[in-house]
Amino acid sequence: MSTETHTDGTRDGHDEITFEDVDWEEFDGGLEWTRTRVAAYLTMGGIALAWLLDSLYGSRRDPLVDYQFGPVEFAPNPGNVEWLFTLTLAVLFFYCLVPLYQNPRRTKHYWKEFKKNKAAVASLVFLVFIFLVAVFGPFIVGRPELDLANAYQPPVFYSYVPGLEGGTWEHPFGTMQSGEDILQTVVIGARVSMMVGLIGCLMIVVLASAVGTTAAYFGGLVDEVLMRFVDIMLTFPTFFLILFVVYLYGGDLFTIILILGLTTWTATSRLVRSEALQRNEEQYIDAAKNVGASERWIITRHLVPNVSNTIITAATLAIPSLILYEAVLAFLGFGDPNVWSWGRVISEGRGDLQNAWWIATIPGVFLFLTVLAFNFLGDALRDALDPRHE
Amino acid sequence: MTMTDDPLLSIRNLQTYFHTDDGVVKAVDGVSFDVDRGETVCIVGESGSGKSVTSESITQLIPIPPGEIVGGEVYFDGEDVTELSTGELQELRGGRIGHVFQNPQGALNPVYTVGYQIREAIDAHHDLSKAEARQRAIRLLEDVGIPEAATRIDDYPHEFSGGMKQRVVIAIALACEPDLLIADEPTTALDVTIEAQILDLLRDLQDEYDMSIVFITHDLGVVAEIADRVVVMYAGKVMETGSVEDIFENSAHPYTEALLECLPGQSNLEPIPGTLPSATDPPDGCRFHDRCEYATEECRVGDQPALSEIEDGHGVSCVHWQRGSDGLPEPTDVRGPVRSTGGER
Amino acid sequence: MKAYIAKRIAWTFFATWVTLTITFLLLDFSPISAAGAEFVDQQVQQGMDADEARELYQEQLGHGDTAWERYTNFMVGLATFDWGWSSMYSQPVVDVIANSWIYSFQYVFPATVLSVILGFAIGLYSATHQYTKEDYAATLFAFTGISLPNFWFAIMLILIFATMLGWLPTYYSTDVALLSLENAKQLILPVIVLSTAAIASEMRYARAESLEYVHAEFVKTARAKGLSENQVTIRHIFRPAMVPLITILVGDILGLLFAGGYVIEVIFQIPGLGLVSYEAIIQQDTPLVLATVLIPVFIAIIGNLVQDICYTILDPRIDFGDR
Ligand SMILES: Nc1ncnc2c1ncn2[C@@H]1O[C@H](COP(=O)(O)OP(=O)(O)OP(=O)(O)O)[C@@H](O)[C@H]1O
Ligand code: SF4
Ligand SMILES: [Mg+2]
Repeated sequence: MSTETHTDGTRDGHDEITFEDVDWEEFDGGLEWTRTRVAAYLTMGGIALAWLLDSLYGSRRDPLVDYQFGPVEFAPNPGNVEWLFTLTLAVLFFYCLVPLYQNPRRTKHYWKEFKKNKAAVASLVFLVFIFLVAVFGPFIVGRPELDLANAYQPPVFYSYVPGLEGGTWEHPFGTMQSGEDILQTVVIGARVSMMVGLIGCLMIVVLASAVGTTAAYFGGLVDEVLMRFVDIMLTFPTFFLILFVVYLYGGDLFTIILILGLTTWTATSRLVRSEALQRNEEQYIDAAKNVGASERWIITRHLVPNVSNTIITAATLAIPSLILYEAVLAFLGFGDPNVWSWGRVISEGRGDLQNAWWIATIPGVFLFLTVLAFNFLGDALRDALDPRHE
Repeated sequence: MTMTDDPLLSIRNLQTYFHTDDGVVKAVDGVSFDVDRGETVCIVGESGSGKSVTSESITQLIPIPPGEIVGGEVYFDGEDVTELSTGELQELRGGRIGHVFQNPQGALNPVYTVGYQIREAIDAHHDLSKAEARQRAIRLLEDVGIPEAATRIDDYPHEFSGGMKQRVVIAIALACEPDLLIADEPTTALDVTIEAQILDLLRDLQDEYDMSIVFITHDLGVVAEIADRVVVMYAGKVMETGSVEDIFENSAHPYTEALLECLPGQSNLEPIPGTLPSATDPPDGCRFHDRCEYATEECRVGDQPALSEIEDGHGVSCVHWQRGSDGLPEPTDVRGPVRSTGGER
Repeated sequence: MKAYIAKRIAWTFFATWVTLTITFLLLDFSPISAAGAEFVDQQVQQGMDADEARELYQEQLGHGDTAWERYTNFMVGLATFDWGWSSMYSQPVVDVIANSWIYSFQYVFPATVLSVILGFAIGLYSATHQYTKEDYAATLFAFTGISLPNFWFAIMLILIFATMLGWLPTYYSTDVALLSLENAKQLILPVIVLSTAAIASEMRYARAESLEYVHAEFVKTARAKGLSENQVTIRHIFRPAMVPLITILVGDILGLLFAGGYVIEVIFQIPGLGLVSYEAIIQQDTPLVLATVLIPVFIAIIGNLVQDICYTILDPRIDFGDR
């Protein structure tokens, strides 16, 4: 599909529809404050405010009252990261689900295209399941607790010696060395992986589109400096960069996620830049320049929306590696010691392969399947959305 | 049409289908025609009518799968090519049958020198030393009119202009002095002056190498210039075939007429209204009936009308070829399917 | 072309300098880098003699009182291969590296060769047999390979082949000679783990790049010349696909192999650079951490240079004025 066809807006329903066809003026309301937009800003602002208040006064609260108020106190993971996750979910809701809901025709079209890829559909189902588990699971099954009396319980249907009493439904996935229930760690681990994947993905989207479109729009020295910097960052092997920065600054999950986001956006920004460069040539940008639109306006209202397919695809494809990086860090023991990440559970199970294979095996299966599903999904998205990819 | 006895190439009821997600594309569906020695046969027709697939089916250059030659025979020098082994087929390709494709920009591999690519064609069929092959490649380049061939031979394709690239591609096709040159729209991508040069070149080379040419184009002006005989294709079928005079002065098929009306210099420069019928689910009867101004009920049933010979070597696939409105001669006798054009047997 | 290469080399030096400066800044701003006095305090608290601690500090890479002093010391130290003192090994960092690299090399190298050959071959086959059963199988394998967390994969292999079947050792042992069958045997699992991900990702790239050419006009021309299918595949599909493939080889595959190697060494206890780095992190032996992080960085920078030069050789179309 050639790039020119995107702009004319007169294509019939038979053609492929992409995010780039979205009349952003219309559903972003342009200067108008549509209801969706007000709702989005209010929600996100509210979350940000709550986060601010929590971090300013949260720790000073009376510990007795403390335990009964605010979502954070019930939250499975340390505070900041939960707030950031909530914010990410809000963004996901307002910028992915709402547009899909408001444009049923396009949604139907996407679905029709998407349905053709069986692996991707299965992946989507699985990911929705993991997502729901991640968001609600910890509140249902609770968090893993030390329970030395129940250490090394095998999973249900398995017993050390045939005939002997095996695992029970009380701990369907068995328990760990100190009796923590593996089902609970798996559920919490799903939340951690989703946090890493989604928050990191959002960071990549923001950073990559900011840098990429800025470079493309201004060109010249700005472009040169930004892209040379990206070149250098790309030469740095990502894993070692992450490792080094985590060694120097790391610790809690929040910092680790920030580090992951800050170190992985570069490749996407280069893609965005080259896509935006092509768009920059096109007439509507000129038109906007002619009517005297400000640079920020042009970039955010015209350039970014028009390269959104590239951004979405690239960012989705980055999720699996984000999840894997966090898992590896946790496995090596450089992760957050207060967080039950899948990688950490696998690492705990490593010494007990002989007598408790399930500790390392079960969370790994979930990690593997989640990463696999994200890879399938990203690939299908690229096929469906990326105009250069056939 | 002097050498009537022994055609070099004889295509009989060729059927080439593509198996795609949307169904079976009947790109070529029962095509028959002959090419005599030393003769130039032009295949004309709209885009998508199956010209390229026909020509690429001869030496099975179509992608298989999804393509498949489901029926028919291709006799080359008396031998059925569809029965040949892979090795024999490779002998034929480039050895006795040369191919020139539409797009000179893409027809050369960017990472090899033109000399290498010509030598490759020579080496595939001859056991020459490197120096000998190089000499031959230089001579070929000279033959196709590349100045300073001896130095340009080590250049890469991107250092050549479009017209020169097409000359190189022709040199590759001629590398083993083939008996048949198949040129699939070799000038479409070039501008008019270059086109004229390439056509001249082909004519000269035809004499020099004594070969037959199958020339594919949708430009009837080019046809008038170079063809001895013409095959008019539409939707995978042959509509009309005959000598160049038959086609230009005595055309009997409504589709040929419509094509001729689109020639520059004619009163009507409009393209033929309507589009090709679906290739996966072709209509009953004559495939042209949707767009034909003479169409009647008769045209909409059964198969494509058989190719009937209305004159010696002039075959028409139309129910109403005798419609007489434009001074068509009455058929002298009906001999059934014509020899040189086959038809459905 | 010479001018281009000279320019490219100059850029390499510049990029190295920027990289090292960024590294220094990261280090210097971090809570871990302590200025002189704090460092000495720390060591004294851990029971070291004050003079000794001060002496030790002088051995540190990038020591000094002002930021500028530290920076110049850091850069000069790196340039002169004076990379500081490893307190964990009580050896200069450079010596630690010199002693351990061979353990990494002995399995990373075979894994690289294996993955390049297999990955490219499978990818090429897949591309020329698109939509066949073999192609689907290869694609499925590729997705599995890139999605398998290598540390978990390693543990699963240990569980199956070492713990359950007992065919292969669980841990690497340094007691055997490097060039012995015994050593080869204990490297089987590391090589499999390391190359699986690399094969998968290389075959995906190779397939995608080759597909660009499978239907190219010049491939049809090549066939029309009478070349055999193998000749067509190697000369006219694989060779042009090599050009873009070269660029991913260094960037992606090197990163993949090094990162994979790190984890593998920790799991199998192979005393290569990865394990050294891991232990240095645990022991907070910063000079050693820095060195083990910078080595992959240097290899990547040099790899990039080599890759770009290869590119100019492989692709005659490259425009040297462009960069
Ligand atoms: N590889 C293929 N797979 C599926 N369908 C194909 C393939 N190649 C050709 N076709 C179909 O076969 C039909 C004839 O195509 P062909 O290329 O022969 O047309 P043509 O007459 O040469 O047109 P043009 O003048 O545009 O070159 C078309 O409907 C085309 O879509
Ligand atoms: S058979 Fe009928 S429809 Fe077909 S060309 Fe002749 S008159 Fe037209
Ligand atoms: Mg054609």
